Amino acid sequence: MLDLSHYAFVAAMFALAGAFLLYMVSAVAGRTVHGLSLAGGPAAVTASDDRPVSGRYATILTVNAFVFLTASLTFRSIESGHGPFSNMYEFSLAFSWGALALYLYFETRYHLRTLALVVVPVALGLLLYATTVPDGIDPLVPALQNSLLLTIHVAVAILAYGAFTVAFAAAVFYLIQRDNSLRWLPRKSVLDEIGYRSVIVGFPLLAVTIILGAVWAEIAWGSYWTWDPKETASLVTWLIYGGYLHARVMRGWRGQRSALLLIGGFGATLFTYYGNLFFGGLHSYG
Amino acid sequence: MAKSADGARAQGPPFPAGSVARGASRPRPAEFDLISRVWKSLSSMRLALVLILALAAVVLAGTLLDQAPPSVIADQAAYDQWLERARGRYGGWTVVFDRLQLFNVFHTLWFRALIALLALNIVVCSLNRWHGIWTTVFHTRVRMGEPFFQHARFRATVATTMPLDDAADRVRRALSGSRYHLKTDAAEGSVALFADKNRLSRFGTFFTHLSIVLLLAGTVVGGVWGFKDPEFVVSEGSTRPLGLGTNISVRLDHFADEYYLDGPPKDFRSDVVLFENGKQVKQGTVQVNSPLRYKGIAFHQAFYGQTAVMKVQDKTGKVVFNDGVPLAWQTREGQRPVGSFNLPEQNLSVYVVGPRSGETDPMIPAGEMRVEVYRQESRAAAPQNLTQGKPGDLAGLTFTFERESRFAGLKVVKDPGTSIIWVASALMVLGMVMLFYLPRRRLWALCKAQPDGTTTVLLGMPAQRDTTLAGDFDSVRSKVARALGADDTSNPLPEGDDDA
Repeated sequence: MLDLSHYAFVAAMFALAGAFLLYMVSAVAGRTVHGLSLAGGPAAVTASDDRPVSGRYATILTVNAFVFLTASLTFRSIESGHGPFSNMYEFSLAFSWGALALYLYFETRYHLRTLALVVVPVALGLLLYATTVPDGIDPLVPALQNSLLLTIHVAVAILAYGAFTVAFAAAVFYLIQRDNSLRWLPRKSVLDEIGYRSVIVGFPLLAVTIILGAVWAEIAWGSYWTWDPKETASLVTWLIYGGYLHARVMRGWRGQRSALLLIGGFGATLFTYYGNLFFGGLHSYG
Repeated sequence: MAKSADGARAQGPPFPAGSVARGASRPRPAEFDLISRVWKSLSSMRLALVLILALAAVVLAGTLLDQAPPSVIADQAAYDQWLERARGRYGGWTVVFDRLQLFNVFHTLWFRALIALLALNIVVCSLNRWHGIWTTVFHTRVRMGEPFFQHARFRATVATTMPLDDAADRVRRALSGSRYHLKTDAAEGSVALFADKNRLSRFGTFFTHLSIVLLLAGTVVGGVWGFKDPEFVVSEGSTRPLGLGTNISVRLDHFADEYYLDGPPKDFRSDVVLFENGKQVKQGTVQVNSPLRYKGIAFHQAFYGQTAVMKVQDKTGKVVFNDGVPLAWQTREGQRPVGSFNLPEQNLSVYVVGPRSGETDPMIPAGEMRVEVYRQESRAAAPQNLTQGKPGDLAGLTFTFERESRFAGLKVVKDPGTSIIWVASALMVLGMVMLFYLPRRRLWALCKAQPDGTTTVLLGMPAQRDTTLAGDFDSVRSKVARALGADDTSNPLPEGDDDA
């Protein structure tokens, strides 16, 4: 099982590297991805015919990478008997998986491939990082022996982080795209909208992550909140995205300032994710 | 960028309904001035932002800096010693951090004051918005004038050969089919429609904000009516009263720890029995992920260690003490495990010190315990090392280190605020689902009879701050057009005026 998991992991990595190359080719050669209908109405569907083949294959490869990664995580779960979330190797694979899942959702929904130029390297970077950490299956220490909560708490977190990765990608391109003059990039309004849409996916999911974490902490550690570094970091991350949403609705913030908030938010997300490497605390399992 | 979205909208049409003017400044008597000014600053988003940033900074400091544990904070001498160790790490900054109470950030008065202020700010903001949101939700104009349809951010005109009543009816059915809730205002020669979807969505904002206030209330309830003993230790075979205002005692029957082959811990288990007023009321196993609960009190497995079972006899041979002494603490110098017990009749306190673990201890060989006896603050006898099973005389009493055993460290918590926390959490999720996944959509339509018996239908949807509605409007427009048997290309959207 473990061998299968490893093969699938390597396959995912190669597929993703290939996908990245093709996305780049597609971005350079294509330049037809701008100005599509937001909701993916009829206009977007007709546009797909003039898009370069490279883009389509890039998507296929990404889907493949996603499937391989799913398989890799599944094989590991079968082997270990719990969700694949118990050390840094598994976290990294899962984070990568979450980023790809959310990316593919937004690609399908908005018929846009540009975001892949940021999301796919991030996902690939996480996989490369995973190759540098021990990949053994660690038995669960007593605090982690709660299969249900371990699986849901971390799975929801992974999806939230994935959504924030997509928001980050949208923000990066928003800042690159000046006056809608770059024809290979989506229009600013589209990027802004995608940023918002991914935050309203990620923000409630992060809230649920924190709540489930509190439920678990109450059971395992005796109090729902202890200002553990990871708790604190995730709260700060949540507040940053909360600030983004408030600024948007109450103050009409859009565009550059919002984009900077999203980039800061992603920084906080990474910090939350890897903070336990620097700080110890109750979450230091990896 | 500040101009982009707002600027574009400023040239747009007047907002249809509910754009209630806020804080219109009417002249007021002077005494209201201060109150209204305080109110105004409490209701500002800027205050919220400042508070959140301040809290973030404080919390970051509390995360980056070592925090003194509560037991250390409670004991000035222990805290001084802790500070001394911190000096090794933070050098000259130690004094500054200590003055600012940064080594105990989360329990300081000013940290709680910041949180209380944030709660107040949230309540005031919510109260301020209540009226506006109530108005936009429940008092909406059904009939919009033609200028609205000429200027709405999303607009369309659909012409049909149907007569007015038929056309209006079809528009109504098309909109109902898209889950819109309809209000109609029919007049001579025209039918006005207001279509509303998820109109209660905005109330989600009250749920989320109320939930934050509830969360803070929950922590207060827990702090006032709850109690906590993070280090309740009880030896195997011993019964200890819980204290903390309860009549509960805890007996530990057995503690077990298990390890995986390569070393990491697998399980910690304490079999305990609870007594209330001397009667057995509960029996169970405490494990890390499975606390034992009784009357709102939760017993969590926290730590464990070595216990020295001691027997003390007086001159007549009468046993004055025979129990396990948990070596749950550490000596200040030497870092050896230590435990203590009192002999009230003799007015003595006894300290039992075990050998340092993991190395040969020059002072206390393995298998021995060092016994120190104090009367008040002064030594009552020279300390003695006792070999297991061999009695030794100290201060006129005979001490025997009978055997080694183990103790379980339990974290005992009663927190009646916890259920409020869960209610608040559910409320927050509910509010976010309403806000983000059931967003409100408002659309106006005006069906006008033309002189030739045909009908023109005008559709208009105002812009919304959070998201663009282009997709939603597109689908409604084509649905209406299809229902009217018209093609819907009659009025393409203006391109790009939402960009910078």
